[in-house]
Amino acid sequence: MTPLPARRRTELGLIILVVLLTGGLYALAGFGKAGNLPANIGPLLGALFALLIVAHIAMRKLAPLADPVLLPLAGLLNGIGYVFIARLSPHEARLQAIWTTLGIAVFVATLIIVRRARDIERLRYLFAAVGIGLLLLPLVPGIGENINGARLWIHVGALNFQPGEVAKLALAIFFASVLAERADLLSRGTRRIGRFLVLDPRYLAPIVTAWALSLVIFLAENDLGSSFLFFALFIGMLWVATGRTLYLGFGAVLFGGGSLFALKTIGHARTRVQGWLDPWIHAQTSGYQIIQGWFAIANGGLFGLGPGQSGAASIPEASTDMIFVVIAEELGLVGATAVLIGFLLMVGSGLRIAVRCERPFEKLLAAGLSLILGVQTFVIVAGVTRLIPLTGITLPFVSYGGSSLVSNYILLALLLRLSHGAESPTEIGALVASDGQRLVGTL
Amino acid sequence: MPDPVQALIKYVLLALLYLFMLRVIRAVWVETRQPQAAPSISPASSPTPYGSNHQAPGTPKPPPGPEKLVGVSPAEVKNREFPLGAELTVGRAPGCAIFLEDDTFVSQLHARVFRRDDGLFVEDLGSTNGTFLNGVKVTAPVKLSKGDKVQFGKSTLEVRK
Repeated sequence: MTPLPARRRTELGLIILVVLLTGGLYALAGFGKAGNLPANIGPLLGALFALLIVAHIAMRKLAPLADPVLLPLAGLLNGIGYVFIARLSPHEARLQAIWTTLGIAVFVATLIIVRRARDIERLRYLFAAVGIGLLLLPLVPGIGENINGARLWIHVGALNFQPGEVAKLALAIFFASVLAERADLLSRGTRRIGRFLVLDPRYLAPIVTAWALSLVIFLAENDLGSSFLFFALFIGMLWVATGRTLYLGFGAVLFGGGSLFALKTIGHARTRVQGWLDPWIHAQTSGYQIIQGWFAIANGGLFGLGPGQSGAASIPEASTDMIFVVIAEELGLVGATAVLIGFLLMVGSGLRIAVRCERPFEKLLAAGLSLILGVQTFVIVAGVTRLIPLTGITLPFVSYGGSSLVSNYILLALLLRLSHGAESPTEIGALVASDGQRLVGTL
Repeated sequence: MPDPVQALIKYVLLALLYLFMLRVIRAVWVETRQPQAAPSISPASSPTPYGSNHQAPGTPKPPPGPEKLVGVSPAEVKNREFPLGAELTVGRAPGCAIFLEDDTFVSQLHARVFRRDDGLFVEDLGSTNGTFLNGVKVTAPVKLSKGDKVQFGKSTLEVRK
């Protein structure tokens, strides 16, 4: 029996704090809204504690050396999100509780299935196919469904699912694996045109194809937020892989062109931009949501009105797109800032994992997964505060939404798997020493 | 519950929220200030329970078996010498101990050559074009002896004393 690594002790301590915090906020929201302690607070806290402990035990068994702060941070964001969803809609809260349970189950399953990052690196084209297949699913007549002008849901029986959420993970794995192999080819020119050495376009072909395809699919589904997320992921990973700032410029130009095109051709995009540039003129239509959001943020002030004490339910999409605004109204600038600090620390920990990983694929995947988390948070928080046009995308771990929650727990498990791998440099040696046969089998 | 009490609880919870973030930052800070033992490359000297415990720490004995790899072909590697330590990585990534930057048939991290108590081994690390020992493809860690020819990509190296 090996001694419990210090990292797991830290994790356990933080998890206990998470349960205390969530319980406190939930109780306070109950008092704020109904004037009494919520009846189900006992079972709820018990369930939250049990779920996080299950995840923690899975970490001890399956990834004992992994980063200690990511799981508690995710648990805290999930807990805060739940408190505010429950405060907005008890019905959605019940569903969110089920999705959280499923999320933890998938988290543990991912840790069990993916024992080494190398295993998924080999399946790159499978992941590319799965990613693109999932993106295409909502377009299939019969199971696809339009919600708020965007066609990105599938409907099977009573189950709603947004396959694009999982697709982004599959494509991140694909990008990381292809880029890891070709980073050196992509970082210097190999083909001579006149006096200049330029990149040989054929090395970029598989990635550009995957990217263009996913972009076309997203435009067909009218999901601008995810389009941007994909684009940023693609360019960001290319930049991390090659270290060439050129790609960022290249990306900015492409993005500018794409935005203009979308603006000219897609009504949905035009409405969003109108509501962004001039919300007051369209205060009853495209600007309504964002103006309601502003009022709420302003109303919250420095310390907020207190959980459960605002009229937040009047904001459209309060539990998904606008949840950050609800938090800002009820916990104020101080509380909303704490949530952002939480995201910042998660992304920071993810990038720290990327730095500590030794193999290019692992480095790139860790960077890509952190990028997904960071860009998604940025797109929605900047959207509701009117820094950029508002697009419907979830705030990771916080917003109501099952597909998003489940895919974010997969993302978390992958990051922690990479972290464990980075901290156990004798992984290969250990396998040879302890289990030579299995290694032989997989090589 | 009276409003002032609720407000008080709210402040306490906000403070607790920041306390949580501070604890997270401290956990990261402590690790960055006192980095854990730098990733040790050698399984033999590894302090983890996985390592082979055949030798007492601090009493290195001269490693048995061959001592260097010498390039044979092509011309870029010919007569280049790579002294062998406890573990060498072979590949086209700049951090590799046996850095075969000119051979495009070599993967970024192609293979590793490592020493265990019973000799010197070569193991392919999932390279695209394979590792060959005396012309036979390496699928599992294989023991090396003097005079063996190991091929990574297009580059061939010979094991010498």
